[in-house]
Amino acid sequence: MTIVVPLLWMVLIAFQQPRAIIAPGWRFEFSLHNFAEVFNPNTVFGSQVLNSLIIVVAATGLTLVIATFASYSLSQLQWSRRVVLGVLSGAALLQVIPPMTLVPGLYATLTNIGLVNTLGGLILVNTVFNLPFALIMTKFSFDALPVELKESASVDGTSEFGVFRRIMLPLAMPGISAVGIFTAIQVWNEFLFGLVFTSGGRTAPITVGIAALIQPQEIRFGGMAAIGVVTAIPIIILAIAANRQIVSGLVGGAVKG
Amino acid sequence: MPVGQLVWMSFGDVRLVAGDFQWRPVGFENFIRMFGDETFAISLRNSSVFIFWTVALTMVLGTVLALATDRLVRSQQTVQNVLIWPAIVAPVVVSVVWLLILSPQIGLLNRILITFGIEPQAWLGESFGAMASIIVLDVWHWTPIVFLFVYTAVRGLDQSVLEAARVDGATYLRQVRDIILPLIAPALVGAAAIRLIMGVKAFDEMYLLTFGGPGTATTVITIYLRAVFFDSFDYGYGSALSVTVVLLVAFVLVLALVYRSVRRRFSND
Repeated sequence: MTIVVPLLWMVLIAFQQPRAIIAPGWRFEFSLHNFAEVFNPNTVFGSQVLNSLIIVVAATGLTLVIATFASYSLSQLQWSRRVVLGVLSGAALLQVIPPMTLVPGLYATLTNIGLVNTLGGLILVNTVFNLPFALIMTKFSFDALPVELKESASVDGTSEFGVFRRIMLPLAMPGISAVGIFTAIQVWNEFLFGLVFTSGGRTAPITVGIAALIQPQEIRFGGMAAIGVVTAIPIIILAIAANRQIVSGLVGGAVKG
Repeated sequence: MPVGQLVWMSFGDVRLVAGDFQWRPVGFENFIRMFGDETFAISLRNSSVFIFWTVALTMVLGTVLALATDRLVRSQQTVQNVLIWPAIVAPVVVSVVWLLILSPQIGLLNRILITFGIEPQAWLGESFGAMASIIVLDVWHWTPIVFLFVYTAVRGLDQSVLEAARVDGATYLRQVRDIILPLIAPALVGAAAIRLIMGVKAFDEMYLLTFGGPGTATTVITIYLRAVFFDSFDYGYGSALSVTVVLLVAFVLVLALVYRSVRRRFSND
């Protein structure tokens, strides 16, 4: 109840006639006006949704590729224990640091390489911040695979990369896809970096777009609710469809916090 | 690398001049200035209040919900699914959701109050109400994380132990207190640690809902840091504050670890 009612209220407001939103009482008039107002070609919200999609796909893809290679290497290629522990505890430690404290340093770095206010910059930052967690989680997936598999494949003369691609990777796929879904949600929901590393408008992700509607002088409740619904619905559908992966992501996300 | 840069910046007076950062060494000046900074003290206090209540409430609620869900005979899966919704929806959207509830003019809460003939309130407009509001929001948002932790731990318990207790005639409450809670203690400690870190990191909701106000009533650490960086453009001082916050968090975590190992040694003897 307490969970669903607040969300339903937002959905109601989103479909509510603007005049009826402000009116007192409980009258409800169905209308698509809010959606039409927010997502017309003259506003930036359409391109912001697109930005968010691009960032999610690129950052999640990058994160998974790097994390998979790195964690496979750590898990299967006989690094010394000290290296493995060092990398893992370093990755875990990074989760403890509030991103806000790293913002000025990152801002300086992004300015130097000319990536402030670009999608590339946001993709990069999102990848960097999701990588440690993804690395830890994918390593667990590889650790869980039996060693004999790899040995027998090596005896058959398969190359190291062949073993990775044809045998180990498919077997670790359930774990990796859980990490992927979780990362995608994190990136889709991300707000802070979008806020400080873009100047808003057409280069920003949709979360920043919503924030722009919350002006102290005049809050546009209807439009706000409409974008809120558009931003939340894909995630909730994902939660229903891929519940198991998300749960394991969240629980594993322990370190992530 | 950003960490190194942060430390380096914290010992300087850093200004952005024509798109370039200029760094002038000032030694410990930034750190000394911190002690006279009243807003920083307030933000530390606000963060402490926020963290204390949100951690405590989410822990209790999450644990109760997990135990209750575990006792359900039917539709456990569905309940669990719905229960995680708040945690996966974007913090920005959660802020929108609560703004629509708390808004003095159109909010659900005031509508309900008016329907029952009670005076409507300006929830976010007063210091106490604003802090209470962001705490409630945070609890709504993140109780699912604690729930999932505890739920997973409870589901993983060895049922034969509980069966034995039941046969011995232990009531459910006694089972919870004497068996379940001690057994899932590691999960509880883990969840609390994560919630603590999340509390320090919290930003989006305050930024959108109250912008740290009214006055400085909900200015938590992250909100203050943003203001120093992006309103005063005082990168050196902001970095010094950041370093201090990171060290404080590390200190608390180390303290907790030491406390745990000391206690373990004593209980082993």
